[in-house]
Amino acid sequence: MHRRELLRRTIALGILSACRRLQDTLTPEQRTAADATEAAEPLGPVEKRLSIYNWSDYVAPDTISNFEKEFGVKVTYDVYESNEEMLAKLLTGATGYDLVFPSSYAVSVLKAVGIASPIHRQYLTNWGNIAPLFLDPPFDQGNAHTVPWQWGVTGLAFRSDKVDAPDSWAVLQDSRYRGKMTQMDDGRDVVGSWLRYRGHSLNSEDPAELARAEADAIAAKKNLKAYISAPVKGQLISGDVWIAQLWNGDATQAKVEQPNIGYVVPKEGCTIWEDSLVIPRSAPHKRAAHEFMNYILRPDVQATISDFTGYGTPNSAALKLMQHPVPYPTADELRRLELQIDLGRDTAVWDQIWTEIKSA
Amino acid sequence: MRRRLLAWFTRRPEAEAWALLGPGTFWMLVFFVVPVIVMCAYSFMPRGTYGGVDPGFTLEAYTRFLHPVYLVILERTFVIAVLTTAFCVLAGYPVAYAITRSGKWRTLLLFLVVLPFWTSFLVRTFAMIFLMRDTGLINTWLIGLRVIRQPIEMLYTPFAVFAGLVYGYLPFLILPVYSSLEKIDPSLLEAAEVLGAKPAARFWRVTLPLSAPGLIAGSLLVFIPALGSFLTSDLLGGAKGLLVGNLIQNQFSTARNWPFGSAASLILMTLVLVAALIYLRVGRE
Amino acid sequence: MPRWVVAFTAIVLFLMHLPVLVLVAFSFNASKFSVSWTGFTLHWYQRLLEREDILAALRASLIVGVSATVIATACGTLIALALARHRFRGRTLYEGLVYVPIVTPEIVTGISLLILFVFLRVPLGLLTITIAHVAFSISFVVVVVLARLAGMDETLEEAAMTLGADEVTAFWKITVPLLWPGIISAALLTFILSFDDFVITSFVAGSGSSTLPLIIYSMVRRNVEPSINAISTLIVIGTSIMLYVAEKLTREDTRAST
Repeated sequence: MHRRELLRRTIALGILSACRRLQDTLTPEQRTAADATEAAEPLGPVEKRLSIYNWSDYVAPDTISNFEKEFGVKVTYDVYESNEEMLAKLLTGATGYDLVFPSSYAVSVLKAVGIASPIHRQYLTNWGNIAPLFLDPPFDQGNAHTVPWQWGVTGLAFRSDKVDAPDSWAVLQDSRYRGKMTQMDDGRDVVGSWLRYRGHSLNSEDPAELARAEADAIAAKKNLKAYISAPVKGQLISGDVWIAQLWNGDATQAKVEQPNIGYVVPKEGCTIWEDSLVIPRSAPHKRAAHEFMNYILRPDVQATISDFTGYGTPNSAALKLMQHPVPYPTADELRRLELQIDLGRDTAVWDQIWTEIKSA
Repeated sequence: MRRRLLAWFTRRPEAEAWALLGPGTFWMLVFFVVPVIVMCAYSFMPRGTYGGVDPGFTLEAYTRFLHPVYLVILERTFVIAVLTTAFCVLAGYPVAYAITRSGKWRTLLLFLVVLPFWTSFLVRTFAMIFLMRDTGLINTWLIGLRVIRQPIEMLYTPFAVFAGLVYGYLPFLILPVYSSLEKIDPSLLEAAEVLGAKPAARFWRVTLPLSAPGLIAGSLLVFIPALGSFLTSDLLGGAKGLLVGNLIQNQFSTARNWPFGSAASLILMTLVLVAALIYLRVGRE
Repeated sequence: MPRWVVAFTAIVLFLMHLPVLVLVAFSFNASKFSVSWTGFTLHWYQRLLEREDILAALRASLIVGVSATVIATACGTLIALALARHRFRGRTLYEGLVYVPIVTPEIVTGISLLILFVFLRVPLGLLTITIAHVAFSISFVVVVVLARLAGMDETLEEAAMTLGADEVTAFWKITVPLLWPGIISAALLTFILSFDDFVITSFVAGSGSSTLPLIIYSMVRRNVEPSINAISTLIVIGTSIMLYVAEKLTREDTRAST
């Protein structure tokens, strides 16, 4: 009896201890205080290795190799296609990454789980290059955990030689282009687009609004070739796809190979997103990570990156050096653009809707 | 020393057996049985906000599965798996039969069947994408031959998923059926012929029943992976349809609902084992 | 054999190989878009050598493949021997349970292992991939070696023992050499299963530990260019060679022992 009781207690304890992993152990106030203390502490010398986990096609071809040469650091570079993919890896214990590039709401998730490590600002000598517009974002006050990276919008890319320039999300419900259109393989982007179509916020948790968006998405699905994210570039270029929900920078990159590609922000509005550099708490090479952050804050480096990727830069010094700068949105445009925020427990509701859309 | 050890073992044949079984059993227990048990436990716990589980007990994951959208997914997966198996049987049985009667070509034909079996599933699925794209080879040929004017939409349709599954699993059926057919004693067929049975009758009454074990094994080898497939639907289906495999994978990445994913996995595993048991029971009669 | 069966077989076999043949052919195509043939080139194969990530993935796949093969083949062979030659309590149950990993869908195996590694806080990497590959391979080894053992004659070992050899010597000098083709087949099967595995590996791989299938998957999803065709062709060729070697080894040995 004694042995069985012991066994049962051990198993319960084991499961309990495993459970508590995916939530920050400190309260937000305790965490802020702990982070502030940690941020002031010095880090050791620059390590010889760095492990980066970034979106695909998000740096210039020579960015990494130049960094390696200048600092004598060996870089491992893995890529992901969506915030969810990156979050899934980090939350399930992939501990080897030194730098990740989450979007706005993903930063909130990382912070809530306690995985975001505080930035040691003393090592970022190029910090002053960042435009004030991008400092102190709503998802990370005081830039305690983030360094702004690039920003962009999620609108519609199209083949100007095959279709008239669309101006509304409604074009996806137009059966003239049946089988030639795609939306992103991302629940937040798809449901968000149809929420905006009806004039609602793309962070809505209202059941009626969500139900209408779901119906719209399913109506559009009949005309869609596929739900596909960044890889649709190849299909836009080859002409398999004529209209695609896509990020502006990727459309610019595709334009290099196929000049007849245009881009539009639908009149009802769309997502504007900001990606940041974040160092996970388990990062083995924090000092090298800070060195990389400082490196990309240099105007010339950032200008090269943004010129290649086609995305907006938060670096005002870099903006002056760029050949094809993406201008900051005007106040009027900003009214139509919306940042995605973390939905917390409502993620389950959105996921159910996305599942229903996908299996419709 | 060695002699003493051997003597000890010889007196205890069971101990010797377990010494041999030891390392493998340990590995499978720790890395197969225990994970499934943990997964089972997780399926009864409430989900954590950002993934993982919170302590507690709930049947929420299982009751959620009763929602119509998930039952539809299960049904759709089942239907696709059954259709795939049926088609593989129709396409594969004649091939296996032909190989047994091929004489000197036998080794070559076997090699041709086995080669796709051993080639990476991912590579073969990519080959399908390559062929079926709007700007892929089939469409280019058909347009070039002026058979059609606009490309046929083949990729990202349910047809593509179905074709991909059949293409992927066909060798899994041909080999066991061939193995069974090969073991049939030709004298049985001779006897049937002597007794006046026509070729058709000889096939339906002698060959087919005797090849049943291979047919059953092959069908299982197609049905089970088809039921759990998600790569094919992901790459060839344009992410427009969800099979149970995709649903499960979603729960551990975008949806971050581990208990539900675990419950779905266990349901899938149970279905597979039940199907296997039924098949084997039917086969033995 | 009726004429239509021959024709049907020819068509099916052709269709079974068409996709891969086309894939291989276009790996030599000069155009990036594979819509039409624009000329012969080895450019895409050269590009493979330039890609550090592909070479690193190849190295990872080989390391995992060899380690997993050695461990799984050893464990599995021992189990097969126990099942074939010994009587013990729970033997029938054990025999049935050995087949469970084979029928378990890959996604279930992958996810349950991920859960276990998270639970035990084991960092994901090449080690976890190897562990996973051994876990699902042992059953396959058991099946293959058992089949070989079933056809083997025990009298040779008994003869050796009556001549004075102890069990261990009889094992190494008689059993193992006779069993060798079965062990080799099982090892090859395990290696190929491990080398090509995508589903299970995708769940238990960590940072910087991409194996070749993972890299190919991301290439297929992202930028479809003929380098994928090139690496696929190399994999197909490699697999064919291994198959051929296995076939030769098995055939030679059976001829030698008759």
